[in-house]
Amino acid sequence: MMTMRFWTLGLSLAAAASGQLTYERLLKADGEPDNWLTYSGNYRGWRNSRLDQVNRSNVKDLKLAWVYQMPVTMKIESTPLVVDGVMYVSEPPSNVVALDTATGRQFWRYRRSIPGPVNVCCGQVNRGVAVLGDRVYVGTVDAHLVALDAKTGRVVWDVTVADPRTGHSVTVAPLIVKDMVIVGIAGGEYGIRGFLDAYDARTGKLRWRAWMVPGPGEPGNETWSGESWKTGGAPTWVTGSYDPDLNLIIWGTGNPSPDWNGDVRLGDNLYSDCAVALDADTGKMKWHFQFVPHDVHDWDAVQVPVLVDAEWKGTPRKLLFWAHRSGFYYVLDRQTGEFLLGKPFARQTWAKGLDDKGRPIRNPGIDPSEEGVIVWPGVQGATNWYSPSYSPLTKLFYLTAWENGSLYRKGAAVYVPGNRYIGSVPLIDLKEDPGWGAVRALNPLTGEKVWDYKLHTKPWSGVMSTAGNLVFGGSMEGHFYALDAESGKELWRVRLGGEMATAPITYRVNGKQMVTMSAGSGVFTFSLP
Amino acid sequence: MGKHLALISLWAGLAAAQTEPVKNPHTSPQDVAAGAKIFRSHCAECHGLNGEGGRGPALTGGEFFHGSSDADLMRNISRGIPGTEMPGVFFSETQVWQIAAYVRSLSERAARETVGGDARRGEQLYRSKGGCAACHMVGGEGGRQGPDLSAIGSRRSAAHLRKSILEPGALVEVEYWVAKVKTRDGKSLSGFVLNEDTHSIQLLDSQDRLVSLQKAGLSELSIDKSSRMPSFQGVLSEQEVTDIVAYLKSLRRQRRSE
Repeated sequence: MMTMRFWTLGLSLAAAASGQLTYERLLKADGEPDNWLTYSGNYRGWRNSRLDQVNRSNVKDLKLAWVYQMPVTMKIESTPLVVDGVMYVSEPPSNVVALDTATGRQFWRYRRSIPGPVNVCCGQVNRGVAVLGDRVYVGTVDAHLVALDAKTGRVVWDVTVADPRTGHSVTVAPLIVKDMVIVGIAGGEYGIRGFLDAYDARTGKLRWRAWMVPGPGEPGNETWSGESWKTGGAPTWVTGSYDPDLNLIIWGTGNPSPDWNGDVRLGDNLYSDCAVALDADTGKMKWHFQFVPHDVHDWDAVQVPVLVDAEWKGTPRKLLFWAHRSGFYYVLDRQTGEFLLGKPFARQTWAKGLDDKGRPIRNPGIDPSEEGVIVWPGVQGATNWYSPSYSPLTKLFYLTAWENGSLYRKGAAVYVPGNRYIGSVPLIDLKEDPGWGAVRALNPLTGEKVWDYKLHTKPWSGVMSTAGNLVFGGSMEGHFYALDAESGKELWRVRLGGEMATAPITYRVNGKQMVTMSAGSGVFTFSLP
Repeated sequence: MGKHLALISLWAGLAAAQTEPVKNPHTSPQDVAAGAKIFRSHCAECHGLNGEGGRGPALTGGEFFHGSSDADLMRNISRGIPGTEMPGVFFSETQVWQIAAYVRSLSERAARETVGGDARRGEQLYRSKGGCAACHMVGGEGGRQGPDLSAIGSRRSAAHLRKSILEPGALVEVEYWVAKVKTRDGKSLSGFVLNEDTHSIQLLDSQDRLVSLQKAGLSELSIDKSSRMPSFQGVLSEQEVTDIVAYLKSLRRQRRSE
């Protein structure tokens, strides 16, 4: 017994000795596959791991190692982080737990009390935390950013990001850049004015705020009729990526408000539905690319930007891969934002194509109407915020794709602070033709489909690729599965029973590769026997 | 003393507030017209352009399953009804009252409309010549191969019921589409799809058995969207159809016992 205790003590000391999570370690996150240090695994948005212990030949032997059940009933959208033997995972609405990665046992739990009702469009969710030094950072549905002590879960500081009474909430997993915590805002269904913030990681002081809807006198303000910029939306609710060489934070913005009635906001509505590149030190916008000018279908550009250096027509280039909610896949130059390629990756009926600048050429009769008009993709898009993945091994881009249409209706849009400001209630799923989903592999340099893993229902889970030549994903049907990264063939499947609305991660504990996925209220972890 | 009096009047005020029913303050013809406009763009998809029902229940009966008071209408329209397909709409209070005013106007119109027919005779026809109970259930008695009709009068308009008897194929709910399967070992069966995912399908088959099948074990799987119900056009007289409709309209939801 004594020996056991000393041995366990020895382990925890070893974990502590490996040191704090520094920015330098985050820059080289790929080189630490034992951990999962940031939302997408690395700054380039790859959600890929160099671990290959679990691979195509043995993935069928994966067994449950442990389960952590969250004592909440709301859906889990959180990507856990793993830092030196400790898993930090957020629970809805805005709690955080620290777990032992070997057993799933809890070290501590931070429980956020939410003062009064909050307006979150689509569930009181949280997509994860960020870690720097000995601090864990979490955004809250009442629009605060909180720094917790990584060893105790105690609050170090708690700052207000925005007013929750006007429909603001923080659901995004923050991103650490240098000594800053980058935080986005949600509220595109409440007529907020979107922004991206950088906070001093040590003190919580605001370093800069980049408005995603420009104010009077700022370039882009002319793309909003009247005073509509004040309630223009363009939220920033999914974690972006970072290019340290270019010193650029690349982030996606959400829909303009109100979603389905554009009459009150004539113009292109910059910078809604954009990829934006911001100077990391100042928040100044270096470039933007708008996927859908004057969006009236709720096709946010809240996808994780995938940053890859590759040859483009014979010249090495810093590229940005982006499968957008509207059904088009794009390649951009991430130094300049230049449009290089755009091509549908799923059925779409709204655009004839893209012009040479990447601007969509719309089909007639696709705007929401009083009676409703059926357009592909549907309201939830041909993909959404579900994390994509890029594998440097197969050089393929993996994403969750939906093949479905919605009935888009237009209704009244009157702004009342704190109320929904959407201009209709569309019919998301056509009951008699609800569509289907897939994990889809694309050649990222051409946009061509390489394979599909078809699902009867539309999945809300992101995907992860590994050096074991595997792609992991989940379904709303309750299945967690591993696919051959080259062919898309299913190699392993387990029924977890709960809906999956997050993305898998992998890491190593005591020499064993672990794979974690959340389903229902449970965080499930698998390893080889 | 003064403090006590103030407390007493506060309590009295509260008690009055609790007992006085909430009344829709926006019921003018202009309000009804404004409500109709919103209803058309947000409610008609399920409840029908004139509230006659479709995917959602008819709203012309004046009685609503989830509450018929103005306060109930306000709550159910603005928040939606948990556990059902009814979503909330996100309008100002005034606009929700206007929708409620329009919904009320539908039942006022329906109240003036008479179904005609003899419900008692209709019930006899339902059981005898119609043979409806073989497939439909009322109050726990009957078959499972068609929709349960126990409260159909609360959910469907007379016109809808008439159409369903004469043209049963006109509207077949997804729940009554029939899956036809062949297993790799040569068995055939068919049934309503209770659940389905990528790998398996769960059916209530034509013999009322609960069946779960792995898709990998099937050689054929097709969905038949046509109705299993025969048309009664020319089988029942016009009067008999009217009587059965009168009977079906009399099948209302029982109020829950307190």
